Amino acid sequence: MSSKLAVAPGSSKAYQTGDWRTQQPFYRDKWPPCSQVCPASEDIQGWLALASDRQWEAAWRKLSERNPFPATMGRICYHPCESACNRKHLDSAVNIHAMERYLGDLAIAQGWQHKGLKKISQSQRIAVVGAGPAGLTCAFQLARNGYPVTIFDAQAEPGGTLYNGIPDYRLPKSVLASEIDAILALGIELHLNTPVGMKISTGDLGDEFDAIFLAIGTQQPRRYQGSDISNHSVMGGIDFLHRLNRGEQIMLPKQVAVVGGGNTAIDVARCARRMGAEVSVVCAQDPHGSHHHKQGTEMPASLQEVVEAETEGVIFLYRTGVRRLVRSGEHLSGVEVARVDQVHDRHGDFNPLLFEGTEQFVPAGLVIFAIGQEVDWSGLESLEEATQADGVWIGGDAAGKPKMAAAAVDSGFQAAMSILAVLKGESPVTDAHKKAQITFKQMQLHYYPKQTRHEGEACEQRLDGFDEIVKGLADSDAEHEAGRCLSCGVCFECDNCWHFCPDAAVIKKTGSYEIDYDYCKGCGICAQECPCGHIDMEAVTE
Amino acid sequence: MDKRDPFRHNVLTSGHRACSGCGEAMAARMVTDLIGPDAIYVNATGCLQVFTTHNEQSAWQAPWIHSVFANAAAVASGIEAALRARGKDTPVVVQAGDGGTFDIGLQCLSGMIERGHDVLFVCYDNEAYMNTGVQRSSSTPHAVRTTTSPSGRLSQGKHHLKKDVISIIAAHHPPYAATATVAYFPDLKAKVEKAMSMKGPRFLQVLSPCPLGWEHDSALSVTVSRLAVETGLFPLLELEHGELTGVMRLAVQKPVEDYLRLQGRFKHLFGTKEGAVELRHLQALADARIRRYGLLEAETEWDTERSSQVSRHGRGGYVIAQRGMGRELDNEL
Repeated sequence: MSSKLAVAPGSSKAYQTGDWRTQQPFYRDKWPPCSQVCPASEDIQGWLALASDRQWEAAWRKLSERNPFPATMGRICYHPCESACNRKHLDSAVNIHAMERYLGDLAIAQGWQHKGLKKISQSQRIAVVGAGPAGLTCAFQLARNGYPVTIFDAQAEPGGTLYNGIPDYRLPKSVLASEIDAILALGIELHLNTPVGMKISTGDLGDEFDAIFLAIGTQQPRRYQGSDISNHSVMGGIDFLHRLNRGEQIMLPKQVAVVGGGNTAIDVARCARRMGAEVSVVCAQDPHGSHHHKQGTEMPASLQEVVEAETEGVIFLYRTGVRRLVRSGEHLSGVEVARVDQVHDRHGDFNPLLFEGTEQFVPAGLVIFAIGQEVDWSGLESLEEATQADGVWIGGDAAGKPKMAAAAVDSGFQAAMSILAVLKGESPVTDAHKKAQITFKQMQLHYYPKQTRHEGEACEQRLDGFDEIVKGLADSDAEHEAGRCLSCGVCFECDNCWHFCPDAAVIKKTGSYEIDYDYCKGCGICAQECPCGHIDMEAVTE
Repeated sequence: MDKRDPFRHNVLTSGHRACSGCGEAMAARMVTDLIGPDAIYVNATGCLQVFTTHNEQSAWQAPWIHSVFANAAAVASGIEAALRARGKDTPVVVQAGDGGTFDIGLQCLSGMIERGHDVLFVCYDNEAYMNTGVQRSSSTPHAVRTTTSPSGRLSQGKHHLKKDVISIIAAHHPPYAATATVAYFPDLKAKVEKAMSMKGPRFLQVLSPCPLGWEHDSALSVTVSRLAVETGLFPLLELEHGELTGVMRLAVQKPVEDYLRLQGRFKHLFGTKEGAVELRHLQALADARIRRYGLLEAETEWDTERSSQVSRHGRGGYVIAQRGMGRELDNEL
């Protein structure tokens, strides 16, 4: 182009209107709120988009590359993604939880196998201690990258807390086993009944392997601190669940008291209820509610679990704490509880203060304390202070306080990335968490049709046994449900920017758009009318 | 020939001199891409003619002619008669602003329809003479401030009402007449396609927001045109042989203030006693149109909500090369 004011007859394209603009649009993917809060950092929008296009296997691959337990998590995860979903401002959140389960179940039914990323096999060997969600995920990621991985676990079955701690009505053992088998099929060696520190020494482990990932979980139940403790008629929450999940027959008295306000307490209560007992949960915190949430006194258990438990007839005693166990001889007749004033002490630690004179007697033949768990370091003492410099990584619940299973999956993923980087001598890859978040206020919700949320069918006869209480989505519902995703901040090719650009400066390509900055006048219509907030306007600085 | 975009012709291509965010450029690009380059476009004088053919540079990638302000419909009539005499069926399309339709071009348009010429007349209605500096036209709505209907102590903008041009057209009993706007692309597309499938004189009035004359943010052109429909101030209609055959139902009726507040041309109505009267008047005008056309209760498949909806992989594009790409425009000549 020679002159801006050409006089020879010709196309207006000789005059580039791009230098009129004072602001300019950019296409930028954002990180939707569901992924922002997902403990496993799944690209939820990404796999829902594939599912809505009926690319089921691709959707499962996209999902499982970050979380190899979709059928499991689609049952047990407390799905904070749905609480964050922007769609709730239009009608109701996308049923992400049911979609995850649907894809996981489909993969099991179709027999889809994970694929390795690299054909070449590496020589450096990695040991993973603990075949729970963190350990298995770490092994999965390393094996996909071509590294030989060996897992050691003290139990007779793999799965860790997923196997031992989750009741069958929430997660059938066969589902878990299928997903673990698919992970192990990548060529991972698994040694069961092999407690490290007993059957195999930590020293041998260090000599034989280039990296060790400790994902030993929290196997030690926190004990009740009362002075009148006697093991008779007192049990730890995870001990109870472990024994039940191993198929042990436990005889319960008519009345059972469960102490604790977390998800383990609810699991214990709902199991005991299924075994015919009348169950009271003694919880130091307040019930769910925005006021209590703000105050920080809300019980930690998931609201949905509490609602289900209440439906099943579990009685909740909120803001109450155990003063003492009431015994006649060895026989437990119940617990004496009292009103809790402050849940946390001055230092912010959980330390309920009980008011004298507010005592109440809760009859119970067995009391189960589900008040937290700790790491059991026995046999592994020499590794307790070890660091990455020693070739030792720690992850899962053992690395901090117990969290959701999906967080353990993420911990396993992060550890695998860190191990990969160290073994290759590279700097670790930073994660997608850094992307800008997007709220519904940045979106144009009127462009989306209102659609009813699809649910899995609920089981009616739930107290008769340990059968699953919710069924999966029907095939036709799954496609529709995936299509309800608003695709927050991520282009879904609606064509709005292309149709509305007055200057023909948006060029449609197959699968994307391009702005022709030679002609874009910076009016901002594309950004204003983008339904999902994918387009940003920025001032032109010169 | 500009072939940057594999999914449409860009009959009206880049480099034109329309203001940033121009609703008329948007509307004309949509309409002409829906019709395609294999047509003869006749333009009346107005913004569209001025900003697309500046300094001997044309933004048109299709046969295009401009004569004078008043006679676009007469020129089109002649072209159509000549084509007919030579046994050709190339579509003839007139493009005009509200000045070239409601005011200066009205008698030629009336004659064209009355004589039954096979021409589509598209009016891009931006409700004033914009390119000469925002003078009132007979399309300017009541109470709008323009340079020739100023607001002040004695005046609340334009005294008179917006001319009901679609009723004037309908009185000629043409095969097809419709109103549309840029905010509802699927609706606009359906109307252009329907018009192009019919013979005889056809008329399309497309409300085209003007950021300069309406004094709104350039990013809000689509939003403003959507609100014009949602408030009932600009009903979307279809008339065949003078009879009302279709309306766009309002899923929700919005108060006119939602529309007016975004535009500087109505700013003088807010905060004064006299202005408040006019706000009530404008609301009453919207209510009257809603009542007249049954916009809240019409039993139609389309409503403002459904017609807004987008979906993954678009909501329909442009038909490519139905009758071939037409004559190639030489870039150099």
